[in-house]
Amino acid sequence: MTVLAGSDGIHAIRRSLAARRRRVTVILLVALLVAITASLYFGDYPVAPADIVRSLLSPVTGDVNKGVDFIVLSVRLPRTVLAILTGIAFALSGAIFQTLLRNPLASPDIIGISHGASAAAVVCIVVLGISGIGVSLGALAGALATALAIYGLAWRGGVTAYRIVLVGIGMAAIMSAVISYLFTRARLNEVQEALAWLVGSLNAASLNNIIPLAAALAVLTPATIYLVRGLDVMQLGDDAAMALGNRVEWTRLGLILVAVGHAAFATAAVGPVAFVAFVSGPIARFLLAGAGGGFLQSALVGATVMLGSDMVAQHALPATQLPVGVVTGIFGAGFLLWLLAASSREGRVA
Amino acid sequence: MASTVRTYVGNQQRMLGLGLVGLVLIVTTVGFLSVTVGARAIPLAEVWTALTAFDPNSTDHRIVWDLRLPRTLIGLLVGAALGLSGAVLQGATRNPLADTSILGIHAGAAVFVVIGIAVFGIGQLSAYVWLAFMGAGAAMVVVYSIASLGREGATPVKLALVGAALTAALSSVVSAVLLTSPRTLDELRFWQVGSLAGRDMSILIQVWPFLAFGVVLALRTARMLDGLSMGEDVARSLGQNVPLSRGVAGLAAVVLAGAATAAAGPIAFVGLTVPHVARAVTGPNYRWILPYSMLLAPILLLGADVIGRVIAPPGEVQVGIVTAALGAPFFIALVRRRKLAAL
Amino acid sequence: MKRLLIVPLFAATQFSMPVSAHAEEWTYTDGSGATITLNEVPTRLITSAVAAAALIPLGIRPVGIFANSVAEENKPLIGLDLTGIEMVGTAFNEIDIEKVAALEPDLVVAEFYPINQAWAGGKAVTGEGSPLRNLAPVTGPAQADSIVTLIEDYEELATSLGADLSAPQISADKAEFERARDAFRVAVAAKPNLTALAVWAGIDALHVAAPEGAAELMDLRSWGLDIITPETANDRGYWETVSWEQSDKYQPDLILIDNRIATNRENAFAQPTWTAMKAAEQGAVGEWPAFWLRNYTSYAAELDKLTAAVTAADENLVEE
Repeated sequence: MTVLAGSDGIHAIRRSLAARRRRVTVILLVALLVAITASLYFGDYPVAPADIVRSLLSPVTGDVNKGVDFIVLSVRLPRTVLAILTGIAFALSGAIFQTLLRNPLASPDIIGISHGASAAAVVCIVVLGISGIGVSLGALAGALATALAIYGLAWRGGVTAYRIVLVGIGMAAIMSAVISYLFTRARLNEVQEALAWLVGSLNAASLNNIIPLAAALAVLTPATIYLVRGLDVMQLGDDAAMALGNRVEWTRLGLILVAVGHAAFATAAVGPVAFVAFVSGPIARFLLAGAGGGFLQSALVGATVMLGSDMVAQHALPATQLPVGVVTGIFGAGFLLWLLAASSREGRVA
Repeated sequence: MASTVRTYVGNQQRMLGLGLVGLVLIVTTVGFLSVTVGARAIPLAEVWTALTAFDPNSTDHRIVWDLRLPRTLIGLLVGAALGLSGAVLQGATRNPLADTSILGIHAGAAVFVVIGIAVFGIGQLSAYVWLAFMGAGAAMVVVYSIASLGREGATPVKLALVGAALTAALSSVVSAVLLTSPRTLDELRFWQVGSLAGRDMSILIQVWPFLAFGVVLALRTARMLDGLSMGEDVARSLGQNVPLSRGVAGLAAVVLAGAATAAAGPIAFVGLTVPHVARAVTGPNYRWILPYSMLLAPILLLGADVIGRVIAPPGEVQVGIVTAALGAPFFIALVRRRKLAAL
Repeated sequence: MKRLLIVPLFAATQFSMPVSAHAEEWTYTDGSGATITLNEVPTRLITSAVAAAALIPLGIRPVGIFANSVAEENKPLIGLDLTGIEMVGTAFNEIDIEKVAALEPDLVVAEFYPINQAWAGGKAVTGEGSPLRNLAPVTGPAQADSIVTLIEDYEELATSLGADLSAPQISADKAEFERARDAFRVAVAAKPNLTALAVWAGIDALHVAAPEGAAELMDLRSWGLDIITPETANDRGYWETVSWEQSDKYQPDLILIDNRIATNRENAFAQPTWTAMKAAEQGAVGEWPAFWLRNYTSYAAELDKLTAAVTAADENLVEE
């Protein structure tokens, strides 16, 4: 029989859960700070720690050393900032979808949205011969159009999570087919250009791609926080949510839009970097172990994964630099596999 | 009352049985089309002559024997394998999204093929077969062993997560090689699209024993899958050995999907959609879902291949692309039309 | 002028200001039509792999090379002496910008694609606003419809950078090329009926090249070789993709297979309908040095192989 805990007991449990949430958040913040420091410090061009600090402060102090400032302010800092912003955006997008659709496979890189962005970008590169900002705009439009198409096609007097996922997988298959087909019909150098875009890279980090993404996040993230309050109701399931009527449907549509927005702007900035959206939520949930919350922690995990992966991609192989998207897959997947194995040993269900 | 129910069930069984016969007829028709229709227009009479009185100096005859016949047989077998492996995997993991591409099999095959091209300079399709098969097997073993750590064994959610994780990791390895080796990219882009063209008898000879073994094994899992579909606890209380059932089903799926990928490259959509279509027709009984999937999939695959041969003369459109272009809208329409039976 | 974040470092950029009269100014008009002016002749170059393959034999050695593979696998770079040159990129679209910065470059040399109005090497490397462009300006010749023209463009660039084209080795290389080219002309002239087809043999289709899309094929054509133009080069004007069932659509006297990848030849020979082309059946199959030639030495070697293939071929294998 269930024993009803006294109100003291409930408070104690709540307090301990809140403490756990705080502890996890602090640990993740520290990890991110370590990653930021390392990202600013490591590089083939040796810069002393004191010089890095001086360089970072130079816009204020006016103490300029051109050589070092270029490395710190024009190479490492933009790269670090872009990694953090895209990590946050991908992680939030994935976490929202996974929570909303109640399926760990339901991140944007599985249910077709990343595929829509990718197909649009490949069409831009291979068919229209566009490069640069046009490709990003194309990807943005592709992601939004695909998301709307998925939602529209899944709509039948309302949508269910199950239909969205299945329709999304259908769209993903179509978009992948478009990409594969164009790959067999293009010149090798165009295929390379397209593949490089598909893998995703922080190589071109500059204010040009940081500013639009930062602006988008400044709008989307508060919207997420506002909408997430409605999410607990939907956790009850489609039928229960349906019974609560229209308001829930609007919340759900709103959440889908902000999730798509996060994924689309991040993809436009760096390409569809693999797996950050998929893995951040599960890692955060594992660390929280049922203590509630999750979105803030997912965002922190996403930023750290992105930054850590980029450092590995830059420095792991002595003579070869790889794009970040190669490593996020390996890094994120390895970590998730380790979590699954570890939790299995402890007998916990992941 | 009881007799009406029995009659109803009997009628349904009879209808489903007739449906199977109908599907066999359609498969035969598609097979016939596949031998007679292609990028080159060969008159029906000439095809017949090629089959009955082969003249090695006639290009038409060589095309019928060396290109269309192997391609048709491979298409039929690969289709059946993809349909069955998808149905078995969805049943064993009780996840409607389970597919060979999600469980790491395609990625495993791709990694081995890429390493074969990039490191060992292998370029022949017949060598890709073994590489792909080994890669698929290795990936599935890894996925299964990691997912079955712990007391509760390889649960559906863990299998899906581990499979997706491994797929992401292996795809990243593939991307890394492709970005640093344009030579490999140039070969792989034609393999990874999924195609039946250019496959000759030697490939069929390499893969058919695996496909035959996989088909027999998969068809024998029907009862286990029906048990699992009632939930693990029910299955266990009915005396079923759940981990063993999953193991057998997993083995069947990996042998089938591995051999199919080895023969035709990674074709993602058939294994995912066909079981849903089958389930929509037959209801939740795996005794019917499996044979229906096994027959519906080659119709989709080979039919798509025939269409791909004639829509872009003098070239062809690869079967992997046509199946997605045809199958996906159909699948979406199906999803819209009815609530697909949850697993 | 005060710039806070993006500070051009070791070199002046395209935007450099007028300089004092006594400095030795360097000016070059590149393939995109832009003119670059630097205060002095650049000596520390970062180049793409093909640009390195063009410049090194002309006596201009870059300090760093970015390529889309490791040097040993890069067809244009094979056979060149790369000692003392850093590889600063071995994956497409990736470059180690910190290593480049440490090399203190004056100039980046790549090739310009007129067709999509972009510099080769990937947009993160040579595109607008890339970190590399903040270190040094990007320049180079445009891809032309002749490799000879392209090599001459590089000669012009190399001369402006201080190369002496009359150096014994360089003139010997050029003379060797001219001998090979003349021999090729003679061989082709001896077979006025000979037709050739340039192909890439895929595992699931035969790709027939349109000569207009490949500079070296245009050269061969200008020296008299009759290269068949496919009927519909539907793949963006470069190729016609032909099903293996249709492999006898074109019947040349001589087939040239793309030699960037050795397995391409094996793929072709493994196809049951490969020999539906009479030339394939007779073994009249030569090599097409597709897209990678950038200097006289490798051009001469490839031309000698082509001359041998033309000489061995039967010009009346296929009747018109």
